[in-house]
Amino acid sequence: MEQPDPLIHQPVRLKIMAALKALPAGEPIEFVRLKAIVGATEGNLGAHITTLEEAGYVAVEKDFVAKRPRTRVMLSKQGRRAYDDYLDYLREIIALSES
Amino acid sequence: MTLSSEEAAKTLSQAEDARKRSAELYFYHRSSPHLILWGTIWVIGYGGTGLFPAYSGYLWDALVLIGVASGVVIGRCRSGQGSTAGPRAWRLAALAAIIIFFVSATYRIMQPHYSLQFCAYPALITGSAYMAVGLWSGLRYVVAGVAVVALTLFGFYFIEPHLYFFWMAVVGGGSMILAGLWFRTV
Repeated sequence: MEQPDPLIHQPVRLKIMAALKALPAGEPIEFVRLKAIVGATEGNLGAHITTLEEAGYVAVEKDFVAKRPRTRVMLSKQGRRAYDDYLDYLREIIALSES
Repeated sequence: MTLSSEEAAKTLSQAEDARKRSAELYFYHRSSPHLILWGTIWVIGYGGTGLFPAYSGYLWDALVLIGVASGVVIGRCRSGQGSTAGPRAWRLAALAAIIIFFVSATYRIMQPHYSLQFCAYPALITGSAYMAVGLWSGLRYVVAGVAVVALTLFGFYFIEPHLYFFWMAVVGGGSMILAGLWFRTV
């Protein structure tokens, strides 16, 4: 990778991807918990999740629990791969500067 | 767009912070039902021991079996929701087994003299184990462990002996249930 993935190379989206990557494969995270981790406003977080969803990096599930709406976000296989590539790209830059 | 090594290192650090925070909250959330379960077992076990001391051995044997079986069921239910097994949550079941083994073995070797010692010892071990888990998994576990240990010791020294089992049921079991509910919050 010669350029960082522009979809991930944005502070909020990077945190979203990192937070999702910390979970076991297939495990979703609730929107409120993701908001607490990322530290973004609801609207801002929602917009970035939509960007990642459109790219196929995350999947969004919406349902109701005890009549209350719940939104959950999950990392897709494509997103997992893209995030790994992105981290490899960063590590490569650091390794090159050290060699 | 080309990044400098400083920018790359800073970005990696931000990603790592988010990953750690996410893993910590996830572990709290996964372990919450186990704490509520064992808190409830303490309420029933210590309360039952206070009310029917002659049957306490049978009661605790049954409760421990129920606790371990329920822990397995909770873990399987989570797996059935589409996720794979958690990275560390399964260790809680192993931790419970280790605590049960350790307490039983120590009873056998050390042979406590008073019923209060029988009562306080597993609680102290459990609280200490939570503190140890918290060193790796997050501050909330340390706080829960300190609360259990402090309340157990306070009761041991300052509560009337005939009320100690009820103290442990309400305050010991209650603090574990509260900790489990706290772990569910964001």
